[in-house]
Amino acid sequence: MIKSNKSLSSIPLIKLGLASAIAVAAFGMTGCGGDSDDKSSGAAQVAIDPCLSADCTASGFVLPANAIYVSPDAADGADLKDALITALTDIPDNAVIVLPKGSFIVSSAITVTDATGITITGHGMTDTKLDFSSAPDDDGFKFAGGNDITIRDLGVYEAPKNGIKADGVNGIHITHTSAIWETDLEEGGDNNGAYGLYPVSSQNVLMDYNYSKGSADAGIYVGQSNNIVVRNNIAEHNVAGIEIENSNNADVYNNVAFDNAAGILSFDLPGLPQAYGGGVRIFNNATYDNNIPNVGAGAVSLAPSGTGILIFATSDVEIYNNTIVDNDTAGIEVASYFLADDDVANYPTNYGSTMANGWSPLIKNINIHDNIFKDNSLAVPPKAGLLQQIIAGYQSPYNSTGSAQTAPAIIYGGIGELLSNAAQLTGFNQLVGEDATADGVNYNPYTAADLVCSHSNINDNNKNTLSSNDLNVGLVYGTVATDTNNWNEDQSAPEATLRIDKMENNTLLDCTLERLSPAVVTINNKKYGCTADDSALAACAL
Amino acid sequence: MNKKNKFQIKIKYLSILTISALLAACGGGSSSEEAAGSDLDIDLDGSSASCEFSETGVNWAALLTKNCPKLSDYNLFLDQADPTSGPNEQGIPYDLSTPLFTDYATKYRFVFVPEGKVATYSEHEVIEFPVGTVLVKTFSMPENTANRGVNETHIETRLLIHRADGWTALPYYWDSATDASYIVTGKSIEMAITHNGQPLAFEYGVPQKNQCTNCHAVVPVLDKNDPQDKRKSIFKPIGPKARFLNYDYDYGSQVENQLAHWESEGILTSVPTDKAAINSAPIFKDTTALAGLTDEELTVMARGYLDINCAHCHRQELTIPEANYAGAAGDSGLTVEFNRDFDTEPGRFGICKTAVAGGYQAEENGYNQYPRDIVPQHADRSYLLYRMNTNDGRHKMPELGRGSIHKEGVKLIEAWINSMDANDCGLNDLID
Repeated sequence: MIKSNKSLSSIPLIKLGLASAIAVAAFGMTGCGGDSDDKSSGAAQVAIDPCLSADCTASGFVLPANAIYVSPDAADGADLKDALITALTDIPDNAVIVLPKGSFIVSSAITVTDATGITITGHGMTDTKLDFSSAPDDDGFKFAGGNDITIRDLGVYEAPKNGIKADGVNGIHITHTSAIWETDLEEGGDNNGAYGLYPVSSQNVLMDYNYSKGSADAGIYVGQSNNIVVRNNIAEHNVAGIEIENSNNADVYNNVAFDNAAGILSFDLPGLPQAYGGGVRIFNNATYDNNIPNVGAGAVSLAPSGTGILIFATSDVEIYNNTIVDNDTAGIEVASYFLADDDVANYPTNYGSTMANGWSPLIKNINIHDNIFKDNSLAVPPKAGLLQQIIAGYQSPYNSTGSAQTAPAIIYGGIGELLSNAAQLTGFNQLVGEDATADGVNYNPYTAADLVCSHSNINDNNKNTLSSNDLNVGLVYGTVATDTNNWNEDQSAPEATLRIDKMENNTLLDCTLERLSPAVVTINNKKYGCTADDSALAACAL
Repeated sequence: MNKKNKFQIKIKYLSILTISALLAACGGGSSSEEAAGSDLDIDLDGSSASCEFSETGVNWAALLTKNCPKLSDYNLFLDQADPTSGPNEQGIPYDLSTPLFTDYATKYRFVFVPEGKVATYSEHEVIEFPVGTVLVKTFSMPENTANRGVNETHIETRLLIHRADGWTALPYYWDSATDASYIVTGKSIEMAITHNGQPLAFEYGVPQKNQCTNCHAVVPVLDKNDPQDKRKSIFKPIGPKARFLNYDYDYGSQVENQLAHWESEGILTSVPTDKAAINSAPIFKDTTALAGLTDEELTVMARGYLDINCAHCHRQELTIPEANYAGAAGDSGLTVEFNRDFDTEPGRFGICKTAVAGGYQAEENGYNQYPRDIVPQHADRSYLLYRMNTNDGRHKMPELGRGSIHKEGVKLIEAWINSMDANDCGLNDLID
């Protein structure tokens, strides 16, 4: 299943089935992986593979001798529900619960509340398969509260609601774990469960070496959380592959997202307790072929099918050194919330309280650089819901060049910035509460630090001449308030000018911004991320 | 969970100490030393309390320390086979003006406050019960909901016990006609009853012990400026709030306001003298007629219903006394507490609010039957009502305790939505 005619330097562009997903996931794991690295890191490295003398999972996690084994001799097809629940009821701190090897039924949601330091492990994401299809109407695993929880080396299949949900956990590590719905979304799987791996309202979130397929919302999702590392995961055939929502300090790197409706998303949605996020770095990922129809419901349904990366109504995001290929609508879309709701006058009524808490429809400080683009934005006719008219405009003579163009691979809406620069939104400033104002949330004209910038991106089509089949950058609404071209005839409303420029050596959107700081995750007193266990990783030096 | 198994686990932990000491380099991440040091089994704590109890009266010592295998071990009732009447000692039956719906089960509630102790009134929250208090609720399924109390089968009895370290929930399943057994794994039971003269079949779910917290716990809203914020969730009872207790109950010998009765029985203090001034949820039972209610009466009834059925999860900030805690679904942004001011933030009640997690799928032409949680005057376009009115697992609300649709509750919320002031939520496909 290797895609032939593509060549990408950093990440092999392979249609990954689960088996090869594991190969990628296992890549980089040596010796005893996972938590056991804690013990060896300070001391002299022990050369002997501990898995030679102890039981290990497929990912190299050493099963400690005091582990509690759940139904170790269960036959394939057995229902683990009672044994698993019993093991997890009143579970002691730091216990390691081991699920057996094989394919099993779990006929109920598994809820774990306020656990501390526990690990739930199988023998590997293809070695321990848990089928939740008969669990009535609920998540597979649900962690409510608790600290320093690890779930690893197992596969969660066909959960009616979400695969693994972690709500209000400080320290959640989901690793070498899969959330799978076998029926593809485009083949009738639109009743699949919603989220695959789903930490929300949590802190210190580490998700690595996981695989998610078939979710009707986001495969790998982090919402309303802080201090987050999402790395080395694979997401395919979800509505959204990987999504960071209303979250702070998130590093998303070395992931692969393909065959989703949208590959990687960073959102701030209105009306949530954690009103807004920021400090999201998306780098060194591969996001390609994200072209399946969006069958999602609710907020995720806004994401245009054919999207490599979507930045929506959020600020302080850096997107760099990603490989973005074959996404039919656009490689990267940057849009304010006005794309979804253009009733600007009614924002105080409809969003006043969430705007008081700092949610903003605007997008600021978006730094797009050093990404490699190839063969994006080529769908004719355009397929992308919310962006359909815009894309069609670029593909017709009604763009700023006067001749039909390939729609931009990087596309920025610009209307929020235009309205801000025209001081038409300054009235919103009085809605913003004290804390959010102090945090810099405002509706003033954009400063240099607020801009959406595209620089040093690479057009791997090697044409770069602003002609047909080229990859470009685009700005839908010009952002200079004093430019009469940016307004309609009587200068009363913004007018889409559909500006477009070549991707390399561009003048449109050409600006530079300060780099963002790395995220740090602390679980069980161990630090993870680019300044910690990945400090020697090449991607972290980009 | 039997003692023998727990004890074996403890022994295993102890023996591991030496082994783990040898595994210097790559032992598991978790500290076995800590696990070994922790007290794994409350049954082995040396207390004199026992589940074997031959005295008269309530087995208070066991209630406070032990998860006994049988409900009868606690000796809560004069007749241990009948948890619907005859509480021992100070047990007092109570009812709620608007009850939480659980598949049309009849609920028998009792409160046991230890002798010499007293609970304190709370205006908005659950009555502050002293340590030692036990709330006992038995769920019984009638053959016919028209004849409650007749031909009923006891399904489960749940104990909420205020122990020294906080509230705990113990589920007991009536696996025989005479006694109920402690069960942590939950149970799924096929039910066939008659409701409103029609047959009604559904699957009744006895929750797992771990699921009790889904409804009963408020969770910390983690402080983003404190990466080491490791507060635990807090377990709370749901029903016995003043607003649901503040009405007359027939005690057999007399009919009396429940709050007043608790005061005169000496188990409750600090209740306002003027009971009528307490902002209370009106009585709403399956037999309550909606016709003839004013819009205001309808609103307060609907608000009471949403509070008892939804707000244990859908709550946030102001209405929780502990700072920075929220209900399990507080992060959805939909919060429907009875004491939240509706007019300040109607969006918090779902008015024109787009669902965040979940949501209804639009058709290919973009039309969405349920585009907002509540579209005023358009109950048939309101996702909140749809979620109450479906058994589709991806949409159904509440998540637990509802294998069937509460038709009467649906009718109430439907009438409330349709009575609201108009607001098209910016939708252009509403048809009047």
